[in-house]
Amino acid sequence: MAPLLAARGVSKSFFGNPVLRDVSIALQPGRVHALLGENGAGKSTLINLLSGALRPDGGTIEVDGRAVARMTPAHARQAGIAVVQQELSLTASLSIAENIGLGAYPKRFGLVDYSALAARAKAACELVGLHEPLSTPVGRLPLGRRQMVEIAKALYRKPRVLILDEPTSSLSATETKILTDLLERLRSEGIAILYISHRLNEVMTLCQHVTVLKDGICTADRTLEGTDAAGLVRLMVGRDPGDLFPQWRPSASPANAVSVRNFSAGLMRDVDLDIRTGEVLGIGGLVGQGQEDLLLGLYGAIPARTASATINGTPGLPGGVPRANALGLAYVPADRKREGLHLIHTITTNMMLPAFARLPALKLRSRRAERETARGLAAQLGIKGDLARQAQALSGGNQQKVALAKWMPHDPVVLLLNDPTRGVDVETKREIYLMLRAFAAAGKAVVLLSSDTPELVHLCERVAVVRDGRIAAMLERAALSEEAIVSAAMGAENRKVAA
Amino acid sequence: MAVLSSRPFLTVAIVAAVWIAASFASRGFGAYGHLRYLVELGAVIGLVAAGQTFVVIAGGIDLSVAAIVTVSAISLPLLSWQADPTGLAPVLVVLALTTIIGLVNGLGVALLRVHPMIMTLAMATFLQGLLIIIAGGSAVTAENPLVHWLGNARPAGIPAGVLLWVAVSVIVLTVMHATPFGARIFAMGANPLAAALSGVPVTSTTLAVYGISGFTSGLAGVLVLGMNGQGYVGIGDPYLLASIAAVVLGGTSILGGLGTYAGTIPGAILLVTITALITVVNASPGWRSILFGSLILGLLLLSGREQARR
Repeated sequence: MAPLLAARGVSKSFFGNPVLRDVSIALQPGRVHALLGENGAGKSTLINLLSGALRPDGGTIEVDGRAVARMTPAHARQAGIAVVQQELSLTASLSIAENIGLGAYPKRFGLVDYSALAARAKAACELVGLHEPLSTPVGRLPLGRRQMVEIAKALYRKPRVLILDEPTSSLSATETKILTDLLERLRSEGIAILYISHRLNEVMTLCQHVTVLKDGICTADRTLEGTDAAGLVRLMVGRDPGDLFPQWRPSASPANAVSVRNFSAGLMRDVDLDIRTGEVLGIGGLVGQGQEDLLLGLYGAIPARTASATINGTPGLPGGVPRANALGLAYVPADRKREGLHLIHTITTNMMLPAFARLPALKLRSRRAERETARGLAAQLGIKGDLARQAQALSGGNQQKVALAKWMPHDPVVLLLNDPTRGVDVETKREIYLMLRAFAAAGKAVVLLSSDTPELVHLCERVAVVRDGRIAAMLERAALSEEAIVSAAMGAENRKVAA
Repeated sequence: MAVLSSRPFLTVAIVAAVWIAASFASRGFGAYGHLRYLVELGAVIGLVAAGQTFVVIAGGIDLSVAAIVTVSAISLPLLSWQADPTGLAPVLVVLALTTIIGLVNGLGVALLRVHPMIMTLAMATFLQGLLIIIAGGSAVTAENPLVHWLGNARPAGIPAGVLLWVAVSVIVLTVMHATPFGARIFAMGANPLAAALSGVPVTSTTLAVYGISGFTSGLAGVLVLGMNGQGYVGIGDPYLLASIAAVVLGGTSILGGLGTYAGTIPGAILLVTITALITVVNASPGWRSILFGSLILGLLLLSGREQARR
């Protein structure tokens, strides 16, 4: 059978750097095809070639077995190829329905036929379990729901080929389940699906075939049958993965680094929380239950109030980021492109920013000292290459390292991390995990908000599961398991779960 | 070559090319006295654009600079003290006043979260109304020795205004590129959210930036008053478009976060050069304006377009 969409021996270089070399991939109808590779392996480039966003330097793109000379995004759409990008492409001020139909509005007498749009958008939303009113502006939805809108937008076009780039990185467990069921159904209807994910468990359960890229070269193109997760990791990193998670050693002390009573911020209402020195405290739960507001409130980035608070022995909440920094708090945001980094500035400048924020405003800078500090941080964190490059030149994993690195010279006492491993390759994940544990072992406190449940289980002393703006359960180390976290998140914490 | 792709260098090269071409085409254009006069005129734009560069790099825009220049040039003659023979005190009072006007702009932008365009445009309109009430339609003559010196003296053959511009440029470039404050401004302009989360005191930095713009516009008003001898309503009007054009011609991103005053300086000189060339053409005032506007637009199309950012 001819594949619906295929690349034959494609190559692509950017500014003389080969990103893909002689890569072939064939998407068959009725098959979920996994595309694996570390960040920077060339996955996004391959997707862009398949969807016509980029033109290959060599090789061909074939639709229904016929080579397409000049593939464009418009061709791709006509051929029924839909892409769900990792970077959301939604317009915040438009409604769910408008976003879903964008570019393909049903028309009547030359005007947008809103009732037809609503009907068709509703059908797409139901497929992905979106029950919010269709007129809701997308900007008001939490990240996970926006991702579902993005998927509904792809389905609205009734695709024959569906390409999903890390669709689950911001989804909760329930949403992930809805998505996997949906993909299973689409597959059985004969749609060809290309699925990119860093979550190997998902890949193992959902996909039938895998293509692995490493440094722009295809290292495996095979059926998934008879492979295990460790085997996949070996294919991706080219060596034995070892243990993804560092060995766990208790390091918590009874002293509190942070202690708040009746703390409210954003969605969070009347929370009591103690963060101990030397622990990694996990924050889990479904996406958008107020976890982020908890971190931002403690950090002074959004208004918060509390009955009593002590932070590193100082009473009261910081009430502003500069003050929080002075108290030893540091925050690493989830959305590193929008909140964590200055993409158009150099890596060095990004690393030095917290220092600039703190130094006396008119003290003279020493460029040489800055370069040296940045070089030291880069060496420590394994960030390679010229540090005078713009931060946007870095891969996702390295960007995350920069977002973390910039706090290191300030020796924070409490590190607030918002989903630090989202969309990060396995190797970088492991480095970040090691860093977190080392940090806790040095007597600092780490608060790890994560949408990746295994991460919480393997790294944390305790996990606070947040539901509906409250801490629904505080799971101690002995009671930590993926099942316990998920059931507490879903509101079933009374059920006895095995530790 | 890094130097050739640098925008400030490019702008300097354009200025040099225009000067050389013009001095062949028109006798007297390339004379030392004429070029010195051009730079002296450029000093006023350069001073206004100094503050504007700060504001634009920080991600804002100041549309009240022209009105602030006028405020400075009109309020100074109204302040005269016999007790102060140097004339320094009134100048300081006026500069404090214009700085405060800038700080009010900053308050509106940072605390009330009014869009910079709306805030500074409203401020400009407010000030214009106030000036009409205070000064009416008549010009006021300055009798301040310091202001007179600034506008007319030539120590060592160099106009005092140009010396002032050089001094301001050194300070501005130092603050912009060699202090943490400067780094904060770039960070705020490139990504205000990430800057805030990195601990940059966004409110006070915004206040400072607009305060600086008020100050340098005030300084420009003092200089233009000295050169002109009289202040009147509308004296600052040419400097709004000129200041923004100088900033953008100099390669500073109108979106904020990237740029340097080192580009604004030749940008300002390029603008007065264009004005001088148009005068040579000997067109009527209406046509001069049309030519000036079109030339700025053309230059920006050639050099000032920037790539879309994600």
